[in-house]
Amino acid sequence: MNPEYSWLLAAIPAAMFFVIAFAGRYLPRGGDYLGVAATGASFVLFFALLPDFLDVFDAEAHVLAVAGSIEWSTIGDFELRMGVFVDPVTVVMFAVVTTVALMVNIFSIGYMKGEPRYYWFFAVLQLFVASMLMLVMADNLLLLYISWELVGVCSFLLIGFYWEKRSATEAAKKAFITTRVGDVGLLIGILVFWKETNTFNIQEIIHMAEGGQISETYLFVGSICMFLGAMGKSAQVPFHVWLPDAMEGPTPVSALIHAATMVVAGVYLTARMLPVFAVADHMLLIITIVGLTTALLTSAIAFAQTDIKKVLAYSTVGKLGLMFVALGSGSVTAAMFLLMTHAFVKALLFLGSGSVILGTHHNQEMDKLGGIWKKMPITGTTFFVATLALAGLPPLAMFWSEDELFAAAKDEWGLWALALAMLAVFATGIFMVRLFIRTFTGQPRDPHVYEHTRETPAVMTGPLVFLCVLSVLSGLVVFHGVGTALGFPGGISEFVFQHEPHRYEIDWALAIPSVLVALAGVAIGAFVYWGNDLRRSTALANAQPRAYDLIRNKFYFDEAYQYVIDRGVLGFSYLTSWFDRYVVNDTGVNGSAEVTGYAGSVLKLFQTGRLPNYAMAIAVGVIGLALAGLWLRG
Amino acid sequence: MERDYTLFIPEFIAAGGAVLVLAAELIYPKVRKDYLAYFTAAVALAWGISALFYIGNTVGNFQGVIQTDNFTTFFRLLGSGIVFVVALLSAQYMNRRTKTAGEYYGLLLLAGIGMVYMAAARELITAYIALELLSFSLYVLVGYLTKDNLSTEASLKYILLGAFSSAMFLYGMSLVYGITGTTYYDGIGAALADRSGDTDTAAVVGFMLILAGVGFKVSAAPFHMWAPDAYEGAPLPITAFLSTASKAAGFALILRLFTGPLAANADDWKWAIAALAAITMTAGNLIAIQQKNLKRLVAYSSIGQVGYMLVVIAAIGYGDRDTAQNASTGLLLHMVGYVCSTLALFTALTAYYNRTGKDTIAGLRGMAETQPFLATIVTVSLFSFAGLPFFAGFTTKLFMFQGSVTDGLLWLVALAVANSFVSLYYYLMVLRQVYLFDPEPGMSRFSVGPVLWVTGAALTLGVIFIGVYPGPVFEGAERATDPLFGVGVDAVDHAAMDHSH
Repeated sequence: MNPEYSWLLAAIPAAMFFVIAFAGRYLPRGGDYLGVAATGASFVLFFALLPDFLDVFDAEAHVLAVAGSIEWSTIGDFELRMGVFVDPVTVVMFAVVTTVALMVNIFSIGYMKGEPRYYWFFAVLQLFVASMLMLVMADNLLLLYISWELVGVCSFLLIGFYWEKRSATEAAKKAFITTRVGDVGLLIGILVFWKETNTFNIQEIIHMAEGGQISETYLFVGSICMFLGAMGKSAQVPFHVWLPDAMEGPTPVSALIHAATMVVAGVYLTARMLPVFAVADHMLLIITIVGLTTALLTSAIAFAQTDIKKVLAYSTVGKLGLMFVALGSGSVTAAMFLLMTHAFVKALLFLGSGSVILGTHHNQEMDKLGGIWKKMPITGTTFFVATLALAGLPPLAMFWSEDELFAAAKDEWGLWALALAMLAVFATGIFMVRLFIRTFTGQPRDPHVYEHTRETPAVMTGPLVFLCVLSVLSGLVVFHGVGTALGFPGGISEFVFQHEPHRYEIDWALAIPSVLVALAGVAIGAFVYWGNDLRRSTALANAQPRAYDLIRNKFYFDEAYQYVIDRGVLGFSYLTSWFDRYVVNDTGVNGSAEVTGYAGSVLKLFQTGRLPNYAMAIAVGVIGLALAGLWLRG
Repeated sequence: MERDYTLFIPEFIAAGGAVLVLAAELIYPKVRKDYLAYFTAAVALAWGISALFYIGNTVGNFQGVIQTDNFTTFFRLLGSGIVFVVALLSAQYMNRRTKTAGEYYGLLLLAGIGMVYMAAARELITAYIALELLSFSLYVLVGYLTKDNLSTEASLKYILLGAFSSAMFLYGMSLVYGITGTTYYDGIGAALADRSGDTDTAAVVGFMLILAGVGFKVSAAPFHMWAPDAYEGAPLPITAFLSTASKAAGFALILRLFTGPLAANADDWKWAIAALAAITMTAGNLIAIQQKNLKRLVAYSSIGQVGYMLVVIAAIGYGDRDTAQNASTGLLLHMVGYVCSTLALFTALTAYYNRTGKDTIAGLRGMAETQPFLATIVTVSLFSFAGLPFFAGFTTKLFMFQGSVTDGLLWLVALAVANSFVSLYYYLMVLRQVYLFDPEPGMSRFSVGPVLWVTGAALTLGVIFIGVYPGPVFEGAERATDPLFGVGVDAVDHAAMDHSH
């Protein structure tokens, strides 16, 4: 299939959204099979498209991307085109999104069984898949922004899926508003670039930026504004607060949207715009620092969480931070590679936790679990593999991608960045092993829960096994031989790259420390929590009570925001409206008018002297303007 | 030159209709009031259709005081469209609340005519008379529910403050006349371009007074304080009219004035408009957060919208000619989207109010259960106000801001984007009531009458159409701004200018 038709990938789920949303409630089983069919079709189409893309890619000496667009509207002498742009980065995103979406769709049939609004869940899931695919193939910033908002809306709808629960609606609101703060930046950034280049087309903007046709100030302002959007979507510090709360949504949603796809949209955007950011002053350093801060801060928070999904959420934020470190180091390869392997591993972990939640009848607190490996062998084993993969042990998937990241960070920034990135990986090992041990091994904490635990049906364990295979093997695409065997021009670093392809070679000076770091993390985690015994960790927490308190309360980010919003924004709003009301005073006038008669109210109107106040505002406005005008004229 | 009365045929139709409505009720006092509404709507339709014949670049000029060009046609279509919808909204609503409705519908048509001539005027006195025609009609319409104290009180406040601001406008006009010796736009433009330095003070003060006058009309802060009271007290359909026609008319007048006669002195007023825009959008949005009453919320939110639109006027001052036309086109496009969204919202609110008697935010609770169709309309229009993609508000605001981005105004555009983010907060508060709460006990599902159903559905589709495919409307808006910037207008009769000297 000609890659120009890749819009079909998004069109099929989009059409299915309307079918399920309107007809789903009348269909048997809410039309869930339609959802699976739609994402399945996208998945299959992707594999139909891939060979053709690779043909073109080979023929054009590895530089061409396929683009096709239609004229959307001509506005004056400005022609607005909407189109698709497919390059290796897009292909990686296609692979990730279609694969994970299909697995999540299948898994959801088991997980969501018997939930109210079953059909609605599948409908929104299709809309999400369509928007996400649109986002990664958009050739212009406008279409990208629209898809960006749409995935946000889907995320909002799905986090608040259980809208009877107050916490769920609050979390949905928080996620929407927090990411929208970043989106304001994104939109301003888009407008800035439009002003400077007169186009929304991403490739043209990149071309002009590299050609030095954008003034330095605007380049920096535009880049930083756009990056704010990426930070919001990818939950980077200080926007990270929404993602853990987003775990209120159904668990398959957490796997698809809040681990594998939507939250990496920020990484994708940054990767896409990296040629522009790279020419802006200090932009790469800013990206690296934001990434490292996030990775370290959230890894620390993850230690003290007892909710399985929250631990996973913080680890997601941390890994997203590492992807930004890769981008800040100028390596699109490492970022996209890490994005892909992380998507598979983290989707597996979330679906695994979903399986645990269903198998134990809605328990996701480690304090009530323990020892369920025996009862849930498939879930437990796949979870075990994913834990080690996320910890970065070779030869599992994430080891290879993190190796690429370490190399890039060391080359670009030197040892300090490498050391900090390794520290984050080390911490991941500890808290992931803690999570696994406390959930699956040792003595059951709550015998009642344990008694009723059973393995989930095949429709749920099937996707787990499939993702488990990917979590083990997908890292191997780094090798030239594996890549060519799959039909690619070579390993992933010879396919996805910014300037020059390079063939992957194991650098032992880097690989050995990184293996040791990962092993150390796992070993320490195993030592502290062995046998689901909390004595050592409690002693640790008691030894440093203040540090523990800080971590446990997530560094008080939420409290600080609440304070600022209450005292700042709402306070200012209250003050403004108080001022307005002091002059306008709605309740006073209206209330009295209703009590006393008509004549009285008119009289009262003149007596209260409110109208003069209104007029005074006008007069003050005019005189102020006139004085300012005269003063400006001198 | 000859007097070409054919230029006024559309308004002859409208004014004739107004007289007929008044007469009909005089002669048959028992006539069904909703028939009067439908008759008014029919007149508005005929008015709009007759305006279509003026599309094209033929410029008609009546004695140099009134010009019918594409800009006028644009506002004729917009004005007749608004009157059409408002008349339909009023049918059931006013039927319940008044015994005499002839004046109501007559004045509605006259107000529409006032709006058109604010857009068509090429001379200050004519513009002023048109403005007062609109204002006087609205004073009565706002206070039409004489048994309702709120309505009467709102009308009284509106009259007194309106008179106050009219006085300012007149004083500003007279200062400009004093400097230039003419009230014709063309003459003013020419005279201001080469005035001597000793008239600076008078010019600056004059501009600011004019700004206050039109600022009051569009309810820009700090001239906005009448708006929440008037919106709250007025009958619902008139609130819709106030927040659409009144603002559109104000901006029509502003565009004519600030792109034409006052353009030469942009340095003296552009900063003031930028400041007003910043204050207006920020104040409107921040105060809206605190509102409990839905009409007041709409009032403040529309004040916020006015702030965005003022960015365009500032851009006309700051930018070059191309920027000015792009920005103005964006403004007209946004105006259409805004009018559609507002009317859609009020259609839903009127239908809901007719049935439940509720018009507070809390009164909307459970609307998704009792009337999902109306809930959809409310959602679409509020999302459009908030500027979410796929709805008119996003696309039109994007073009408007994009047209207005100049070096000097980037901060203002950024502030506008940030403000539209704030606005999402209070729109979501309304939608929260609609979707997340159960209806009050005793509220059951009800159906909407065919007229309001079709009106609401059509407007909602319009909002989505403009949001997804703005091309055609943009095209129209651009043709409408051509005459303002002298594009393709060679046939202007300059005799009028000589006449004025």
